[in-house]
Amino acid sequence: MTLSGETPVRSGLDADVALAAGGDTSAFERLYQANVGRIHSLTRRMLGSHEADEVTQDIFVRTWQKLGQFRGESAFSTWLHRLAVNVVIEKRRSFAIQRERMTDDVNALDMLTVPAGRADLTVDFEHAIEQLPPGAREIFVLHDVEGYKHREIAVMLDIATGTSKRQLHRARMLMRKHLGGL
Amino acid sequence: MTMHEEWTDRLSEYLDGELSADEQRALESHLRTCAPCAAVLNDLKRVVARAQAAGTAARPPQADLWAGIAERIDASRTWAAGAGPVDNVTSFRGRAPRRIAFTLAQLAAAAIVIAAVSGGVAWQVAQPGRPEGLHYNSPEPSANPRSGRDTSSADLQVRPDDVHIETVGLADAQYDAAVADLEKALKTGRGKLDSSTIAVVEHNLEIIDQAINQAREALVGDPANTYLNSHLVEARRRKLDLLRRATALTTDMD
Repeated sequence: MTLSGETPVRSGLDADVALAAGGDTSAFERLYQANVGRIHSLTRRMLGSHEADEVTQDIFVRTWQKLGQFRGESAFSTWLHRLAVNVVIEKRRSFAIQRERMTDDVNALDMLTVPAGRADLTVDFEHAIEQLPPGAREIFVLHDVEGYKHREIAVMLDIATGTSKRQLHRARMLMRKHLGGL
Repeated sequence: MTMHEEWTDRLSEYLDGELSADEQRALESHLRTCAPCAAVLNDLKRVVARAQAAGTAARPPQADLWAGIAERIDASRTWAAGAGPVDNVTSFRGRAPRRIAFTLAQLAAAAIVIAAVSGGVAWQVAQPGRPEGLHYNSPEPSANPRSGRDTSSADLQVRPDDVHIETVGLADAQYDAAVADLEKALKTGRGKLDSSTIAVVEHNLEIIDQAINQAREALVGDPANTYLNSHLVEARRRKLDLLRRATALTTDMD
């Protein structure tokens, strides 16, 4: 993108960030509209569609509260995305006990629910992500969809890099199986 | 583990360029003679490609969430304007740059109200005639997307003294009715499911019921515990979700 093409867009976003930090909710709504698709996609993939709307709202409310901490050292969208990842990880931890007890079996249900005679149905890629077990899903989303490195994921999730690599491979193999005959 | 399995397990690392030079050469040598591994590698490449494509294709929510966000921002401002000087716990930004804080009691009260509202959503979305399952958002733009009903700003301003723990069971009758309807529908249609599917459903329902019972028992001794309240709401929501999905399976088989 040329500088002449980029400058007006960035200027508009920068202005909205400054206005929003000063309490202008109209400016903040523009920031919301510009970023909600990516943030909602992140939450939906990481937490599932049932949680995505509520957590997306939580993220933008948290963003509003923390706008004063944004120093402009990175793009606003990058800062927002990292904040969103942190909120999502917090949410996941808050439900960790329950998920450990239930999710694998619930997902096993999903694996059983495609009758053999209907295996030719096209399975939506997004739906397939939602069927991954939680540990594998979050690493698949962070690494393959969002582009984080294993060492970054290890820090975010407080796990070993090797665990991140193993879970990613597990996730890819499950996606391969679930999407059967890509 | 066979040599074949050993290499299969390392295909992702190979794909991501994370093997040492020696390992990479050895794997490539294996791939030349192992068609199954080569096929798996090709599939994994396609999975990664689709994931990367998905990362650039953001999909907005079906409902506009802004109304709920704006409402919560306004509520925090209203709260901030009315809050006195209290212990620093959590700060909220408002129009004014001054620092506002809330006591633990205020935060606990807010969390209980939010848990109660979430519980209300759980039964509401499961009412017969609702076309899709668990959506937190009302399709009506004037309604609060977070709660699925009209404005909750009054709830958010509730004083701690006004909070009764019974609010968590706000929708017990409706929730129980929704569960009963789904259980009845599942019972009617269970003949259409194979035994292994029924076993998985029943096993999961049993686990969820245990979680609900344990949370309820724990709340008797610690009724103000916000984690337990949210845990209970989440478990109840999961039960509805599982019942809805299992019931949907029986209709899919028609």
